[in-house]
Amino acid sequence: MFSFDPYSPAVDADPFPYYKRLRDEFPCFWSREAGMWVLSRYADVVSALGNWQTYSSAKGNLMTELPNRAGATLGTTDPPRHDRLRGLIQHAFMKRNLESLADPIRDIAKASVAEIAGEKTFDFIEDFSAKFTVRVLFAALGLPMGDETTVREKAVLMVQSDPHTRNKGPEHIAAYNWMQDYAANVIAERRKNPQNDLISHFSMAEIDGDRLDEREVLLTTTTLIMAGVESLGGFMSMFALNLADHHDVRRAVVADPSLVPDAIEESLRYNTSAQRFRRCLTKDTELHGQTMREGDFVCLAYGSANRDERQFPNPDVYDLARKPKGHVGFGGSVHACLGTAVARMSVKIAMEEFHKVVPDYVRVQEQLPWMPSSTFRSPLRLDLAVQ
Amino acid sequence: MVGVVFIEPAGGEVELDATEGWSLMQVATSQGVEGIDAECGGSCACATCHCYVEGEAAAALPPPSEAELAMLEHVVAERRPSSRLSCQIKAAPTIDGLILRVAETQS
Repeated sequence: MFSFDPYSPAVDADPFPYYKRLRDEFPCFWSREAGMWVLSRYADVVSALGNWQTYSSAKGNLMTELPNRAGATLGTTDPPRHDRLRGLIQHAFMKRNLESLADPIRDIAKASVAEIAGEKTFDFIEDFSAKFTVRVLFAALGLPMGDETTVREKAVLMVQSDPHTRNKGPEHIAAYNWMQDYAANVIAERRKNPQNDLISHFSMAEIDGDRLDEREVLLTTTTLIMAGVESLGGFMSMFALNLADHHDVRRAVVADPSLVPDAIEESLRYNTSAQRFRRCLTKDTELHGQTMREGDFVCLAYGSANRDERQFPNPDVYDLARKPKGHVGFGGSVHACLGTAVARMSVKIAMEEFHKVVPDYVRVQEQLPWMPSSTFRSPLRLDLAVQ
Repeated sequence: MVGVVFIEPAGGEVELDATEGWSLMQVATSQGVEGIDAECGGSCACATCHCYVEGEAAAALPPPSEAELAMLEHVVAERRPSSRLSCQIKAAPTIDGLILRVAETQS
């Protein structure tokens, strides 16, 4: 009998054969292991993303939600509450407001890649992308350097889940609590010494005369740090993996760096690190002959929607010429990732600088150690050999 | 299904059946209409799915929200009274026949 367990290490390693069966045979599937429905076809995922009235985020959006987060962040609230929170923050993330970050990000990329120059083999993640992403986040948020290694370690840990208990383990909760304490200290410091930056504005913002709820300030800041480190890092390591595995694409983008954005976009479609998010139904809903009940959780499998042959021809091919539009690698609709512009810009700059120093490389490990996470998918280590 | 027509910047007319409830940005990008970037993915945060709405159905559209009006200030092409962000218009029977002229530049 077919089963789909998003906690299984086999799904971490290669979810795509499962997704194909889900799409073809079980497009509205009850996963006993996850205790939720799974939607896997592009059209169904896009419809659900656009229908927040029925597919609510207010009970949490991570497949394995962290305690107390639901209802207090952008990703875990519905309009209109969501919109007022987002209105305070999104200005800072608009592409045109990020241009001043391009030069500092390039300097960070150059400094980070200089540290691996001359190496024959290296771990792309520990030796390059982790350093780069955490330095970018610290620069963007104006955080004091010194804690960056610990911040990254905790961010990577807090998004993981335990494959045996199918829940968060004590180490994941401890990392989450550590990150909340870290965020609380940053917020307190900014309130004492306000600066012209995102956290200062956000932590003192008022909407229609009301201060934001303290839990909203704390958990939204915690989530921003988590996403800035872990999600950006995961996205970047998946992109590097795709380039390492697809020699023709790597050679094409190294020869012509103006193709990097196309390669990034196809990477977001092909194997986004944001594989699965969840919603909660606010009413009984019929789909593909199944009745999902009010209060049931529903997994939206972005990683499957992006491989749906009903939408993308030859979906299992990483095709530089595809220029995919409408993919859900960043989710979509009201809850589409806040950081799309900064993520695209950072990864583009990082890989441009990386390729100047390391233009040709291959993957070393046959089997990758995949992060145990029901929501995200990326390797914990990615050894590359310079050609 | 709701019938809508996109006019691409190069002049091509694309008639589409839109799934009810989908945003017109999603309808366009999922069916290969040229000229819509939709960088933010439909969260009303980038102003790169700018279109001009035309036809009788344009009058039946719900007016833009405050958030859409604020974001319309950031469009790169000329902003006109008919300017809308296509991610903020949902396909519904009332807009059957809507024509969307895609703005010539988005970013």
